[in-house]
Amino acid sequence: MMEQLLTDSLNTAPITGMVILSLIVVMINALKKEPLATEYWVSLVGIVINIGLAVWVFPERGTAFSGSVMTGGYASVTAIIFLTAAALTIMLARVYIDKIGANFGEFFHLILFVTTGMMSFAAGLDLLVTFVGLELMSIPLYVLAGITRRNLKATEAALKYFLLGAFSTGFFVYGIGLIYGMTGTTKILDIAQNINAYSSEPLFMVGAGLMLVGFAFKVGAVPFHMWVPDVYEGSPTMVSAFMSTGVKAAAFSALLLVFTATFDFMHSSINTVVAVLSVASMVIGNIVALSQKNFKRMLAYSSIAHAGYMLIGITAGGGVSIAGVLFYLVAYMLTNLGAFGIASFIENSDQTGTDIDDFRGLYQRHPALAVILGVFMFSLIGLPPFAGFFGKYYIFVAAIENGYTWLTIVGVITSMISVYYYLRVVVVMFFQPEGEQVQTARFGREGAFALAVAAAGVLLIGVFPSVVLDWVSALF
Amino acid sequence: MESLLPILLILIAAAFAPLLQRVPGRVAGWGLALLPGAFFIHFLTLLPAVQNGGERLFTLPWIPTLGISLSFRFEGLSLLFALLVLGVGALVLVYAGGYLAGHARRGRFFSFMLLFMASMLGVVLADNLLLLFVFWEMTSIASYLLIGFYTDKEKSRRSALQALLVTGFGGLALLAGIILTGVAGGSYDIAALLSSEEALRTHGLYLPALLLILLGAFTKSAQVPFHFWLPGAMAAPAPVSAYLHSATMVKAGVYLLARLNPVFGGTEEWHYLLTLAGGATMVIGAFLAAPQTDLKRLLAYSTVSALGMLVMLIGLSTDLAAKAAMVFLVVHSLYKGALFMVAGVIDHQAGSRDVRELHGLARVMPFTAAAAFLAALSMTGFPPLLGFIGKELMYEAKMQAPSASVFLLVAGVLANAVNIAVALIVGMRPFVGRKPVRPGRAHEGPVSLWLGPLLLGLGGLVFGLFPSLIGRTLIEPAVQSVRAEHVDVALKLWHGINPVLMLSLLTIVVGVLMFLLRLRARRVAAELRVPELLLPGGLYRRVVDALPGAAGRMVRHVQSGYLRAYLFTILVVFILLAGYTFLKLPGWPIDTGFGDVSFYSVGLVVLMIAATIMVLVARTRLVAIAALGVIGFGIAAIYVIYSAPDLAITQILVETLTVLIFLFVIRHLPRFGVRSSVPTQLRDAVVAVFSGIVVTLYSLKASGVQLDTAISTFFAENSLPAAFGRNVVNVILVDFRAMDTLGEVTVLAVAAIGVYAMMKLRRGNGRVS
Repeated sequence: MMEQLLTDSLNTAPITGMVILSLIVVMINALKKEPLATEYWVSLVGIVINIGLAVWVFPERGTAFSGSVMTGGYASVTAIIFLTAAALTIMLARVYIDKIGANFGEFFHLILFVTTGMMSFAAGLDLLVTFVGLELMSIPLYVLAGITRRNLKATEAALKYFLLGAFSTGFFVYGIGLIYGMTGTTKILDIAQNINAYSSEPLFMVGAGLMLVGFAFKVGAVPFHMWVPDVYEGSPTMVSAFMSTGVKAAAFSALLLVFTATFDFMHSSINTVVAVLSVASMVIGNIVALSQKNFKRMLAYSSIAHAGYMLIGITAGGGVSIAGVLFYLVAYMLTNLGAFGIASFIENSDQTGTDIDDFRGLYQRHPALAVILGVFMFSLIGLPPFAGFFGKYYIFVAAIENGYTWLTIVGVITSMISVYYYLRVVVVMFFQPEGEQVQTARFGREGAFALAVAAAGVLLIGVFPSVVLDWVSALF
Repeated sequence: MESLLPILLILIAAAFAPLLQRVPGRVAGWGLALLPGAFFIHFLTLLPAVQNGGERLFTLPWIPTLGISLSFRFEGLSLLFALLVLGVGALVLVYAGGYLAGHARRGRFFSFMLLFMASMLGVVLADNLLLLFVFWEMTSIASYLLIGFYTDKEKSRRSALQALLVTGFGGLALLAGIILTGVAGGSYDIAALLSSEEALRTHGLYLPALLLILLGAFTKSAQVPFHFWLPGAMAAPAPVSAYLHSATMVKAGVYLLARLNPVFGGTEEWHYLLTLAGGATMVIGAFLAAPQTDLKRLLAYSTVSALGMLVMLIGLSTDLAAKAAMVFLVVHSLYKGALFMVAGVIDHQAGSRDVRELHGLARVMPFTAAAAFLAALSMTGFPPLLGFIGKELMYEAKMQAPSASVFLLVAGVLANAVNIAVALIVGMRPFVGRKPVRPGRAHEGPVSLWLGPLLLGLGGLVFGLFPSLIGRTLIEPAVQSVRAEHVDVALKLWHGINPVLMLSLLTIVVGVLMFLLRLRARRVAAELRVPELLLPGGLYRRVVDALPGAAGRMVRHVQSGYLRAYLFTILVVFILLAGYTFLKLPGWPIDTGFGDVSFYSVGLVVLMIAATIMVLVARTRLVAIAALGVIGFGIAAIYVIYSAPDLAITQILVETLTVLIFLFVIRHLPRFGVRSSVPTQLRDAVVAVFSGIVVTLYSLKASGVQLDTAISTFFAENSLPAAFGRNVVNVILVDFRAMDTLGEVTVLAVAAIGVYAMMKLRRGNGRVS
């Protein structure tokens, strides 16, 4: 009994480690009034240690705590994605939170709590663990969105996010309730054993559908996307960055685990629904992004569109899709964190100055930043040799192999539309003269380092995708 | 290694080229040209290796998980293109060194040029289609950067974007086509596809794959209706036009078609699509070239026309046509590259590109004039230049075409005649005649400016006089790659007097006539202006200009910013999806066995309904919250009736806290403002009622499911023996699920502390602005 408990605890070390780390940082924050260096460094080192733990338990594939949490393999890989996102966010935000007057110690431990939530969300094999993870991830984010509470836009964003988020979580729980009502268990693996019988039960399918609504809300898929632009634009930029990468990654990881890897709803009505969500997200996200003038808002719509691409993978199902979506998440995480990071560098202290026009002449002022942002834009389009290309490629291949050629075609056509608005940023940066109000980027050594890591990552996995692909393949 | 090493080295050179900013432009040009020059010579020595279908494969693992490798193939067609890329590339680099000698950003320019060169080499040497695609897109990006090189000009930025959008669209289509090909053919390696070509042609995905690949090739090679980006791309500096937009990049589409001919070719679809698109492009390109007066635009449209000829020849799918295509490819690259460079020199040295202003330049620019004469002669197809051989072969191929040969011949003669006129306008007219307008200004450029065009022009002459130099060694292996079988290629200058020769003569006569009548032709063409909207370029602009506006209108509808609108959408989607499932699926009898309903429950339910109505009609928030509280406590009471005291206690505590928190918050809110209009209220009421109905239906259904494991029996049986308690509920609360209870108590305590802290803060702190 004790032995089992010990093994389980060791195998879930990354999650346990993050809980401990979060609490440590809370205590540090509570007990001292110094500047934030201690919180920053403890958080960063702690995250790196936890990445190490995740790598260490990677071979321990299985479950822990009577089959309610997944260990090793998939759980490790997703944990590494979230932890990397958290580490990069903290580094990129180091100077930023100071600039916008949000240098509260809470910033760090809230990020850590969110990360802990993501890890439980994506590793939960009991619907209740999944749900607790979802809430642990979401609630600190509501606070983070409004952390500059004297900024009206941020406050509005936080409130909208909170209300709609709570609403969608309601759907999620109701779905879990219906599934429990049908099956008498919340253990995902137990449910999966009889999935064929349940798949013909409307009650079960509606329960799954309601859970899907919750997932769709978190990933920002149309028609549950409306919060995305308002919240991304209003929240502090690095919080939006973390939301668009970490939270999306977590929601997709959990969705993959529950719907693709275990329940395996191949060719059922759920797939039709997911396909519809996917098409709607790709079309609306890409078209609406065309008319955006604010960089953050444009990235918000682009993130809706990218959710649509990844939903192609969910629709297609199967092992290639899982690897494809995970790869896409890694590529998207690095690219988008970097893009938001650069926006945060040049932002004004009152959180304005993120219009696309504010990037005019960036190449003259900060050639390196402009080139790197150009790389990110090309990667978001999905042009080789950048990471975004292979992300799209794997997903398209998975879709065609599973008979969803039409979805691929929609994906390709909408990608073509996206060329326009991503390139506009490049044109503005390189080819347009500077505006009157020139903003000088502030980012510090930490920010520069994190940005370099993101850019190098986008290039590296674009040229040598195996670096990531070997990790994300054959996880199930 | 033959393939990978040059690409890698040139890429490395591209990375370091910006450092050459400090070096004088001409020195940098000469120095950089050594690299492709050396590889050009090295590749020449490899010619014997590709004779008779010889090939070299080189493979490095890249993404083993997906079976994609860095595989390169070195054979006839690849070698022909690689030699063009490297040879013309070396000359263009020298030329660019002179052209941009004092330019402030020449380092960047060289970097982009080398990036393009490496990518283009990659395109022609890659054996894996995905690898080819990667390089393909890299050429688009490099082309974008080069067209937009004069960043201060609005026009060049627009053109750069236009070129990238069109070729980028095509590139994505190509990717889709490649993936379909991979699925249908089972591999992405061209070498492997060659052996399974029969299966591919009968596969259901053949046609979609073919169409998508053609879309990619046509956009890249500026086929009608995607031709309009190429004249726009003339905003680029002259070396770019000479290199990318005549000799190499625009031929990538032609290369791809030639390369895939053995895999995709031989079907009716292939034949008709290619000859039709190619033929149309050939004629329309020539037609559009006629009224132009700008040197570079004249050349651009005639390039469009020439690209059409190449595509059409590949579409004919005969040995003769393949031979003609390969020869014409070389011919065209030689003369068009030279003429573009000449146009650049004229622009650079004489300050104008308008043919109406240029004359008599031969006296001041003898070397440039010589280069231009040679190139123009080759372009007119005059013997003994290589252009003559190319045109003879082309006519012969058309005569023996499987169908519509008369039509093809007429179109061919027309297009060629226009090209002859263009050749005379560009290559002869500026150099002869009266003295230059501003003789003091126009003067011969440095050697770097005229060497490239002169060498290319001489190439046309030498290969024309001695066609055997390239016939067996270069053209034959390339034709073999296109046809996937051995084809004897013996190029000869003189074939005797035959119909083909007559056609050539006729073309020259018509062409010269057109040249003489060019002024009138321009006037006629000016009157014949097609409405711009009907032209693809106009359509493109319409679409690109209209998109942001349309998107803006869409935003106003889907993104109003109102939370209630968002909630409304989500609820409607929920009702539709869940309601649809409910109606569609069978097996939905609602379990009506509710058992006895007690008097108390009925009373409670009536009370709760009344409270709900209260919430809706309340005029102040306080009343609404009080009514909400009644509903909550009503639920707690129902739990009590159904013997679930633990739930009831939790519910009462939570409800109390919620009401309290509400009260704290509403103190700070303004009074109820304007109420929605009656129609809006009705609409919301409908949505609310339906949401309630759907949720109720599913709850009813859920309660009807019989669970296998009845946990209640376990507690009832074990309560006394295991926990020594007769009251089962008490035992559950404090024993079986003691930890849960503790957790609940803790949560409530923490929440209460939080509420208390908020109250304290409120008093101390200022208001949020």
